[in-house]
Formats: sequence, C-alpha cells, structure tokens
Amino acid sequence: MESLHILWMSTGLANFELGQVIMMLVGCLLLFLAIAKNFEPLLLLPMGFGAILTNIPVAGFSEVGGLLHYIYYAGIDTGIFPLLIFMGVGAMTDFGALIANPKTLFLGAAAQFGIFATLFGAIALNAIPGFEFTLKDASAIAIIGGADGPTAIFLASKLAPELLGAIAVAAYSYMALVPIIQPPIMRALTTEDERKIEMAQLRHVTKIEKVIFPLGVLLMTIFFLPAATPLVGMFCLGNLMKECGVVDRLSSTAQNELINIVTIFLGLGVGSKLSAEAFLNVETLGILALGAVAFSIGTASGVLMAKFMNKVSKEKVNPLIGAAGVSAVPMAARVANKVGLESNPHNFLLMHAMGPNVAGVLGSAVAAGILLALVG
Amino acid sequence: MDNLTQLFVEAGTLMLAGMVFVFAFLGILIIFINKVLLKLAIKFPDPIIQSKPQRKTNKTNVEKGGISPPVVAAISSAVSQYRQQHSKNK
Repeated sequence: MESLHILWMSTGLANFELGQVIMMLVGCLLLFLAIAKNFEPLLLLPMGFGAILTNIPVAGFSEVGGLLHYIYYAGIDTGIFPLLIFMGVGAMTDFGALIANPKTLFLGAAAQFGIFATLFGAIALNAIPGFEFTLKDASAIAIIGGADGPTAIFLASKLAPELLGAIAVAAYSYMALVPIIQPPIMRALTTEDERKIEMAQLRHVTKIEKVIFPLGVLLMTIFFLPAATPLVGMFCLGNLMKECGVVDRLSSTAQNELINIVTIFLGLGVGSKLSAEAFLNVETLGILALGAVAFSIGTASGVLMAKFMNKVSKEKVNPLIGAAGVSAVPMAARVANKVGLESNPHNFLLMHAMGPNVAGVLGSAVAAGILLALVG
Repeated sequence: MDNLTQLFVEAGTLMLAGMVFVFAFLGILIIFINKVLLKLAIKFPDPIIQSKPQRKTNKTNVEKGGISPPVVAAISSAVSQYRQQHSKNK
C-alpha cells in the first residue's frame, strides 16, 4: 500500500500546482502562435516548449542538475547565446542601403526614443500598487522598444534576469505583431500625399565600402561606447565575414547552422524562465503593456523624424520609411513598403526602408550599451 | 513618493543623455560614411567585369521582324502627301 502511495506521489498528477498548469497553457499558447499563426516561430516554438518543460512537476528541468538550468546559465546568463545570434544577424545584414543613404541613420536614432520614453513609463507604473520596478528593471523593460530580440535578452540577462521571461515573450510577440501595430500609427501620422512620395534611386555601393563599414563602426564603438562592444563587435564580425568574401564558409555557418543551433538553445533557455512564480504576477502584465507602448512610440518617433527630414532635406523622404527605424529586420521595412504601395502602386520603398531598418539595429545596440554603461 | 521622484529624475537624465548620445554616435557615423567611405569608393571603384563582346550581326530590322528605316520613311512621306492632297480637296 505504501509503495502505491509512493508511486502516486511520484506522478505529475499528484504534484501539479495551479500555477504550473497555467504556465503550461501559456507554453501551449506560444506553440499555437508559432505553429498556427507563424509568429516568430523560430524562437517562440522552443520558448513555448521550454515553458512546458520547466513547469513539469518533479522533473526539475530548471533546478540545479536539470537540462534547462545548465542551458540558461551556460548561454544566457553569460550572454553567449544572444551574442552568437547577433553575429549571425550581422552575417545576414546588408548595409548597402544605409551606406547609399547615410542620413537614414537619423531615422534609426529617432526610433530609439521608444526605448527611453518607455523607461519613464516603467517608472511611472511604480505609482500603482503592486509594481516595484527599479531603474535596472525599467531599463531592461524599455529595451523591448528596440524591437531587437537578442539585444533585449542580452540586456535583460544583465540588468533584470528575473524579468527575462516576460521581456523576451513581449519582445518577440510584438516583433511578430509589427504588421498589425505599425500601419495604423503610420497612416495616422502621414498624409496621403506624403505616403505617395517616390524617393531617388540609391547609388551603387562598392565592395570596399561594405568591408570598411563594420570596421569603422567597431572603431567608433571602441572609442565612444566600449560597453556596447560585445553586441556591436559580434555584429560587425558577422558582417565583415559576409562582406570580405574570403570566408564564405564561416559566413555561411554563422548565418545558418550556428544561428539555428543557438536559436534552439536560446528559446529553451528563455522558456526555462517562464515559471509560474516568475511569470504569473502583475508585473508581467505591466511589461506586456509597456512593450506595446515602446513599439508604438518608437514607430511614431521614426515617422515624425522622417517627416521632419522630408521638410528640411533637398531630397524627398517618404515618412513611411521612418517606421522601419525600430529595427525588427526585415519585417518593419516590408511593412513600410506595403503601406507605401497602398497609396502609390508604383512606389517600391523596400530598399529605402532597409537603410533605417539596419540603422535601427545599430541604434538599439548603442542604446543597450548606454543603458549598460549608465545603469548596469 | 520621494523615491519615485528621484527615479523620475534619473529616468529623465537617462533619456536625455541616451538620446543625445545615440544621435551623436550615429551622426558621427554619417560623417564617417560621407567623408571616408565615399572617398574610398571613388578611389577604389569596383572592377568592371568585361562581358564577352557580342558577335556583330548584320541582321536588319526586317530580319528581326520589324520595319526597315527606308520603308518607314517611304510610308511617312506617302502619308503626309496623302494628307496634303486630302486637305486641298476639302
């Protein structure tokens, strides 16, 4: 009889807590969004599965000795996984559109206002009972506005590891929702005539420019913001491997096999942080709300900056490309192109929007470096 | 409440410093692209890959299915002549 009792007590059914069941349902929701809705499936699928695994009673996936525990501490706590992902992203990024029209860097800079404005929002939430965000927490939450998954995970793991799960879920969910969040803001802030603006064709960018560019960016980061060199350095390494043309095998590995392998572990590691005690609280709701605010403000400030540039610049600038400054490569650029085509079916803005889009990646890495330097 | 005010002040400082720095950093990058990369591009342009010269063909427009220039000239002249006659008759 006693052995039967022991056997019963070792089953999941006897040990389930309500929080674990709810978090497993959250994991299933992430799987649904990834599989049925195609929302950032590469990360949401392992993340959702990680959430299910980490909430299995008795199995101890996230306790010392558990698989997810080691994945998290080896790859995310150390910052290795997001940095390797950033290298792969660098190897997939073409800076040609940015080099051809460098003033679009200002659009990438303006969109980072979403990050810093959300800092205020996170602190303001402290006025509501139940919220106790420190400046570190607020900074980690605000980086969601950078619309850059690896940057958000990197910064959250350094500044507020206990909020990592909610921040990663918010960052990737909103990145997947860019085609829904951005267009209404873009239409509200621009006139029909502005959306019809056709931009001048971009100049040809030579190979030497593309090779020197990542080295120049790295040099500037070393001089002015060493705190951002882990992110920017790995990004530039990946980009240099792509552009130099002599290490095609390494470039191919960085943007295919390596990034795929790391994405699996990154997703599982982030999923391990989706435990009931860490996720099921009022702060998670605050983080999800602040993430939406951050995205919206970033989009709006990019569009407004592009409008301003269109007014003062000799060359015409379609304000829609400003929305691509929030990073989220290449989704935000595609959205700018799509909204532009609705007003002018002959106006293809994709290449013009890629400039602010990759500028946004650099901008969010710089913003993360600033937050690390000042708050970390 | 004092603590919240203090946090607001710190967040405001962070926002101001952060935005100024992001704009300054990316602004310097614009100068770098315009002053350094553009000059490099002019000095070291991409090598032009010579495409194989195409064989000279003596195909005329007629052979390609078009109309040869003398025929076009003859038709144009005939049309204008006809129009002149037509207008005089009126």
